[in-house]
Amino acid sequence: MLLQLKNIFKWVNSGGQRIFLLKDINLDVEEGEFISIMGPSGSGKSTLLNVIGMLDGFNEGEYQFLDESVHHLKEKYRSNLYKEYIGFVFQSYHLLDDLTVRENLEMPLLYKKFKAAERKAMVADMLDRFQIVGKKDLFPAQLSGGQQQLVGVARALISNPKLILADEPTGNLNSQQSEEIMQLFKKLNEQDGVTIIQVTHSEKNAAYGSRIINLLDGRKV
Amino acid sequence: MFKLYIKIALRYLFKHKLYSFINIFGLTLGISVALTILIFVRYESSFDAFHKKAARTFRVVQHNQLPNETLYWNTTAYPLAEALRNDFPDISTVTQIAGPVNRVFKITDNFANKNLFEEPQVLFADTYYAETFDMEWLAGDERTALKETASVVLTEKLAKRYFGLSEANYQDALGKTILLQSKDPLTVTGVVKNPKGNSDHQYNMLIPYEFFKINNAYFSSNWSGNYQGTTYVVLNDALQKTGFESKIAAWKKKYLNEQDNKRISYFLQPLEEIHNETRYGSSPGGYVMPKNVLTMATVVAVFIFLIAVINFINLVTAQSYARSKEVGIRKVMGGSRKSLVFQFVLENAFVIGLAAALSILVIKAAITMLNSHLAIIDLQLVLRPVHFIYVLLAAVIAVVLAAIYPAVVLAAYQPIRALKNTFNTGKQGKGIHLRKSLVTFQFVIVQMFVIAAIILAFQLDRFKNGELGFQKDTVVITKSPNSEKTQVYKEKLLAETGISKISVGSGPPMAVNGVQFGTNYRLPEQAPEESLDAEMKIADADYLEFFNLELLAGRNFSKNKEAFDEFIVNETFLKSYGWTPADALGKQIQINEGVATIIGVVKDFHNNSLQYDITPCILLNWKYYLDNTFIKLGDSNYSALGTVQRHWEETYTTGIYDYQFLDDAIAKEYTVENMIFTGFSVFSILVVLIGCLGLLGLMSFIIARRRKEIGIRKVLGASLTQNIGLFSQEYFRLVILSFVIAVPFVYYVAHSWLESFSYPIQPSFWMFLMGGLFTLTIALITCSFQSLRAARANPIKALAEE
Ligand SMILES: Nc1ncnc2c1ncn2[C@@H]1O[C@H](COP(=O)(O)OP(=O)(O)OP(=O)(O)O)[C@@H](O)[C@H]1O
Ligand SMILES: [Mg+2]
Repeated sequence: MLLQLKNIFKWVNSGGQRIFLLKDINLDVEEGEFISIMGPSGSGKSTLLNVIGMLDGFNEGEYQFLDESVHHLKEKYRSNLYKEYIGFVFQSYHLLDDLTVRENLEMPLLYKKFKAAERKAMVADMLDRFQIVGKKDLFPAQLSGGQQQLVGVARALISNPKLILADEPTGNLNSQQSEEIMQLFKKLNEQDGVTIIQVTHSEKNAAYGSRIINLLDGRKV
Repeated sequence: MFKLYIKIALRYLFKHKLYSFINIFGLTLGISVALTILIFVRYESSFDAFHKKAARTFRVVQHNQLPNETLYWNTTAYPLAEALRNDFPDISTVTQIAGPVNRVFKITDNFANKNLFEEPQVLFADTYYAETFDMEWLAGDERTALKETASVVLTEKLAKRYFGLSEANYQDALGKTILLQSKDPLTVTGVVKNPKGNSDHQYNMLIPYEFFKINNAYFSSNWSGNYQGTTYVVLNDALQKTGFESKIAAWKKKYLNEQDNKRISYFLQPLEEIHNETRYGSSPGGYVMPKNVLTMATVVAVFIFLIAVINFINLVTAQSYARSKEVGIRKVMGGSRKSLVFQFVLENAFVIGLAAALSILVIKAAITMLNSHLAIIDLQLVLRPVHFIYVLLAAVIAVVLAAIYPAVVLAAYQPIRALKNTFNTGKQGKGIHLRKSLVTFQFVIVQMFVIAAIILAFQLDRFKNGELGFQKDTVVITKSPNSEKTQVYKEKLLAETGISKISVGSGPPMAVNGVQFGTNYRLPEQAPEESLDAEMKIADADYLEFFNLELLAGRNFSKNKEAFDEFIVNETFLKSYGWTPADALGKQIQINEGVATIIGVVKDFHNNSLQYDITPCILLNWKYYLDNTFIKLGDSNYSALGTVQRHWEETYTTGIYDYQFLDDAIAKEYTVENMIFTGFSVFSILVVLIGCLGLLGLMSFIIARRRKEIGIRKVLGASLTQNIGLFSQEYFRLVILSFVIAVPFVYYVAHSWLESFSYPIQPSFWMFLMGGLFTLTIALITCSFQSLRAARANPIKALAEE
């Protein structure tokens, strides 16, 4: 098992009231799964994804990731854990505007202490694989949305994560661009065995996955 | 990784040009100005410290106890040095100098041309001088050079000027002869390097003290009276100072007469304190840079540096909003807090380093400018390796203050919040209070400078245009080297049409060029100890009319005499006896130089420059010391100047013609105040500039953050001014708050400074208001500049961006 959420609750206190963002979430994810999370706006999809990605905490429940109890880990270990195993893809790409495509791809490697030669090889490999060699010296603003998201996915993959978390990765893209990204995910999942959890509003995109989780008001339905 | 961070930093700087410019330029300015001031301060506090024996060298100073005050003199009777040397053989060295004085020399150069040179800094020094004070000898033997009476040691400068020599052949000067006052031949026995700039011992040449002694036998052997000998002693150990002082106290009666022994006491002043101590004044030829001026300058330097650093902090923290997204992304990609702190510190340190490097160039330029443009002081500042360490230190301080804190704050952002940019949406961001307090602090300082400059300007105006009680316009002063010919000179001049009046005297009504004759006065029946201190002026019968001095009682002089017999005194003089002008007439007064009767009383005029009180003043009808001729030119008829020179040269035949306008001479009395004012004006401008740069940068960030808001407001119908007001208001309020804080500070400082003057202006509220309004206007313009741009922008563009 890759990860397991048990009775996860998350809330915020606002004006003396406790507002629940996640209520009693239970979820087992096996390695190699491709899961789509769906639900109306405000139902807690992003919140759940952030909890899984360890970017956000929770108030109650247990979270096992590769047999580590995340809820018991200190912040530092937790971030080491996600650094090593998780790649993130965002709806608004979140590339660094001041870095070129190549530098954006290289950035996560810097934090993982790869040697310069290794970094170079890994970046070159990614550029090849995504067929964006010609764009390597361009800045994000010089790319189309689809190309930017391609770079975003490439960046998430570059350090060989076990799990990719994607929050509406195609939300800003047209249907043809969406199609390409989803094909890419499918290929990654099937050929490379990468586990993928994506949030999506589109039934069509959700269909790429092997399992759909529906949320409503922070609760699994 | 390091290289990559620098690359990113550079890219960021290029992309955000205004931000980079403000940050780099502001900091460069701050570091440069602060360090230039510090280099100046260090220079001015290092005077004469370079002499090997400096720490145990002392100047003998003299306290002169009068009934109503103590006078502090930096000179002693000439014979003191020899007496100390004879009676205290255990002191290491005692040396005596006279001067520096002004002398004319006739020099025959290598081509047998005879030239006249006037040398203002001729110092008489004994053979012990070279043992006490370090000089660099380029030719001659330092042990024997000042032994022979008719010898002279030239500075490098004069060896060049007189004989066209250079480093290679200073030896050739030895044995050459120069003629002092065209009559006494002096043989060159040495050439020394020009005195260092940071020394109060400024001379062009040294002539043996023995020569002075022989030619001034009376002065140099006389123990009573105020003669201009400066005595230095070198002790074996600086700790012996107090012990030696008490030994002298017991010993002095051996030489001083009973009255002087009671009045006069000697003290030792450490050589290294002379330059910064106002009580005794500098040695002749030097100047004093008061300690409090240096303290003030240091405070100014620190403030300017702080303002620049605050700008940096403000801009960097403001900028972190723009970069919160980057923090989020980097953290999600695995960046640790430590690595982010490192990155941001490095980026800021890079900018600071850039500013520091630039400031070295600016400092170099500033020093060059100061060296050549400072009016009274002949500065010789040089950029030394130690100054690079200053710059480095300033940069390190800037990094600690301005780079680390913002980096830590920035790096602490939680990744998802940073990604959502929640900081951006709120009206008040994190750190807004810090920035507001810093801006307020900055503007407190800015306004302090501006208001101080305004008050100084008014005080200076009082100095320059205040009523002096005598006529000073279009008066030219020339010297009279030979009093016997003065009458002829006078008549020749009066025959000219451009010249209306002439008078001769020891000096103009207000003492200028540091020349003022002092004496002691008492009633003939009083004991000598009851004598009081007064200024004496020797004047002719035309003096009162010439300068428009008003007689309150009595009459004018009839004639100048071999033995004076008439006094005209000022009103202040009368106060010592409580007389009315009428009472005073006919009274006999005893002064050091003789007895005479008061025949007139003049209305008080400023006999001292306006920093000081009017002091008792006695005019007398002596035949001697009528050293100056005062010439009234027909209003602004300056063409008469050429005629004056012609007559002067034809009449006196020897010497070098020189003239001075009285109002120029008076203006010179305020050089120090003028310099302080100029300094404050320049610093105010710089401080305003740096402060406004910061404000400009801050506004541009605030506006960048709120472009969308401006767009929405505009679409909803807000006018341009409403939109500008929205952003300016906030900082406007801070400027007003800082004004309120600044006023009491400035009032206190200005008040205590002005108090040191006898005729201070009263700092009035509208001077403060003027400063406040000025700053406010500048701040408003700065704020509007950015707001206007934003408010004018097409709202659709701003809205479409999100
Ligand atoms: N820090 C917070 N404080 C209060 N409420 C929050 C906070 N974060 C999220 N919420 C609320 O939690 C709910 C779930 O938010 P979440 O972003 O997870 O929704 P979502 O399902 O991703 O919606 P969408 O499809 O629009 O992206 C929303 O109602 C949101 O307002
Ligand atoms: Mg969402």
